Amino acid sequence: MQPRSDVRCIGLAKVFQSRAGAVPALAPLDIVFAAGRTTAIVGPSGCGKSTLLRLVAGLEAPSSGEILIGAETPADVQRRGGLAMAFQDAALLPWRTVRGNVALSRHLARLAPDPHFVDELIALVGLDGFEDRRPAELSGGMRQRVAIARCLAAKPDLLLLDEPFGALDELTRMRLDQELPALWQQGGATAILVTHSVNEAIFVADRIIVLSDRPARVHADIVVDLPRPRDLSVLRSPEFRDLSMQVTDALGMGGPYERHPLVAE
Amino acid sequence: MTALAERPAAHLPSGITGAVGVLLAWELAARALDGTYLLAGPVSVAAYLMENAGLVSRALAVTFESAALGFVIGNLVAIALALMALLVPRAERLVAAVALFVSCLPFVATGPILRVIGGPGTAPQITLAALAVYYVTFLTLMVGLRASPSAWLDLVRSYGRNRWTEIVQVRARASLPYLIAGLQITAPAAFLGAMVGEFTGAERGMGVLAIRAMRGLDVTATWALATVASATAILVYAGIGWIGRRLNAAPPPIILSAPPPETRSSALGSVGSWLLLGAVATCAILLLWAGLMELFGLNEFFAKRPWHVFDFLVTASDAADHRAALFSALLETMYSAAPGYLLGLLLGAGLAVIVVSLPALASTVLPTAIALRSIPIITTAPLIVLALGRGSVGTITIVAIMIFFPTLVACVEGMRQAPAPVIDLFRTYSASRWTSLRLARIPAMLPAFFASARIAVPAAILAATVAEWLATGTGIGSLMAISASTSAYAMLWSSIVVVAALSAASYGLVSLVERRVLTVYASEQLSR
Repeated sequence: MQPRSDVRCIGLAKVFQSRAGAVPALAPLDIVFAAGRTTAIVGPSGCGKSTLLRLVAGLEAPSSGEILIGAETPADVQRRGGLAMAFQDAALLPWRTVRGNVALSRHLARLAPDPHFVDELIALVGLDGFEDRRPAELSGGMRQRVAIARCLAAKPDLLLLDEPFGALDELTRMRLDQELPALWQQGGATAILVTHSVNEAIFVADRIIVLSDRPARVHADIVVDLPRPRDLSVLRSPEFRDLSMQVTDALGMGGPYERHPLVAE
Repeated sequence: MTALAERPAAHLPSGITGAVGVLLAWELAARALDGTYLLAGPVSVAAYLMENAGLVSRALAVTFESAALGFVIGNLVAIALALMALLVPRAERLVAAVALFVSCLPFVATGPILRVIGGPGTAPQITLAALAVYYVTFLTLMVGLRASPSAWLDLVRSYGRNRWTEIVQVRARASLPYLIAGLQITAPAAFLGAMVGEFTGAERGMGVLAIRAMRGLDVTATWALATVASATAILVYAGIGWIGRRLNAAPPPIILSAPPPETRSSALGSVGSWLLLGAVATCAILLLWAGLMELFGLNEFFAKRPWHVFDFLVTASDAADHRAALFSALLETMYSAAPGYLLGLLLGAGLAVIVVSLPALASTVLPTAIALRSIPIITTAPLIVLALGRGSVGTITIVAIMIFFPTLVACVEGMRQAPAPVIDLFRTYSASRWTSLRLARIPAMLPAFFASARIAVPAAILAATVAEWLATGTGIGSLMAISASTSAYAMLWSSIVVVAALSAASYGLVSLVERRVLTVYASEQLSR
């Protein structure tokens, strides 16, 4: 396996062309996502968080600037099956079983089939006994467990999580946040998590980047040095509440107040 | 929604490119085949139309009127049937089965019988036009009436309102896009029905001119009439689409998905319940048949009752001979209908795969295919016979073309149903176009493919029998035509029963396969 590398965004900007004219989604950004750590990105709705993630995934081309993962471009990493992305929609293929869906990423990453590892992962995400079920028979939370297992099946260096638990209910989400991140964090993968939930960001990440309203700029960069492993008791700790306040403040300041100072007065 | 609304505008220039390309290729082919009496180019077609403007426009007006009347009647019947099925859910499958059987009646035989009953006027062609449209509208409407989000229905029910309020307030509006799509697809079918009706001995109309031109081997006239029929169908198709967009009823994503059953399957199991349905539907059809004949007091000489057919095929002394004649003709028809059916499906799906994998091609091929889908193919049958001769190749080709365009359009739509995140997933591994086709898009296409395979069954048999009647002089199409002209009404009615039963049974068989496929490939469509 390749040594883990930082993900560096250098002067990264994205402008979308629409009929109404150019819509800048990302202002030129310089961010380094540290190798082997989990970084959460939070920001107001539509601020360009997902665009940033899609750029890193190589699903969009930057308008200017570049992204380097070590010395490689996202396209290079794609081609060697080095990155995996999870979406808000589990995006499972309805005609494949749980096992077939998890194994799919190994196939796409051009890796040899490894049924044993696939079954192990299914057990790790808590779905043993469901290997031969189809997505239609699973609940929303179970589908996202499959999606995460699918991400991990190709042993990626870089994991991109676009609100994977965003559509789930709060209880399910907390349970998944508690169980799943350890799976990639123990493996040492670099992870970038886009989320709307301040609690999720603090609970899961080593660092939180707060983006401003569109076009996105880095508004705050907050280190989360809560000890690991984290369990739900951490939610009641003063450190957690302090971090929560910092992130919430940063989000509030990045909102309409800054652009319309008169309202804030 | 915006993407859908913008589509026509974006496609218009490429549609024009496609049309110009078709015209050019047509003229070049005509010049290359000059002297072979196969093909008349657009220039000579235009010249013919200028010369005979009065004749053709009068004929068009007559046919258009019959088609329009049949279109309105057929669609009203479809709406009434759909409402009935919705208000009395228990009767739904029975209504659908009887409606299917009636739509499978072969025009080649019902046309002459209607002619005997209705005389030389326009009643037969109006009836055939109505018969040609009502089932497809009924199907699309049933899907549409079911498409309402259940939360909307719960809203209505939470005020203690009944099913009728539910239909008026929610389902009618939610199903409008489906109704428009059904009207769009069936408009050319109405034209086709009217023309086939005129083939059976009307005094005026496009069908009369087409038969005359074909019998006189007038290549230019044949091409000119087919062109006018096609252009009319395309215009009506486009016009209804335009009205739909004005009503803000953008085309629904999949219009041909199988109606999900509202009732749990019975304890008999799926096959058992289908057999039971078949038995009940058969009884209903026999009752309806005999009842209508007796009600209108139709002459037994040409209006045979079920017992006459039973006698002719089973109890008569020479029943074995009758059966032999009937089934050998049927077999002959199947030898051209089945290959044409499979060929049309495979070519349609195959070209859809190519179109989706080469987006540059899609912008030209798709508008052209959508336009060509609206051509009443049967009316071009004389052309294909001119080109391919009177052998089974001609029949196979007509059947294949009849099925090809709807399948192509449905499959392209189906492949576009593959959800964006799934395609993104494949892209994050730099998966090749072929890989995402094979693993994501083609499986996602299967529901649409099987929906068109199901709808195509009656279309294939219709195309095959009409081609046999007009051109090849073989198979059950020809047998029905000869029976009609020699007043062998017992044979004619027996053919109707056998052809419609075969057609409906094949339809049922394909929809069983479709259900199997849907449970795996689109389980959400069944559970909705």
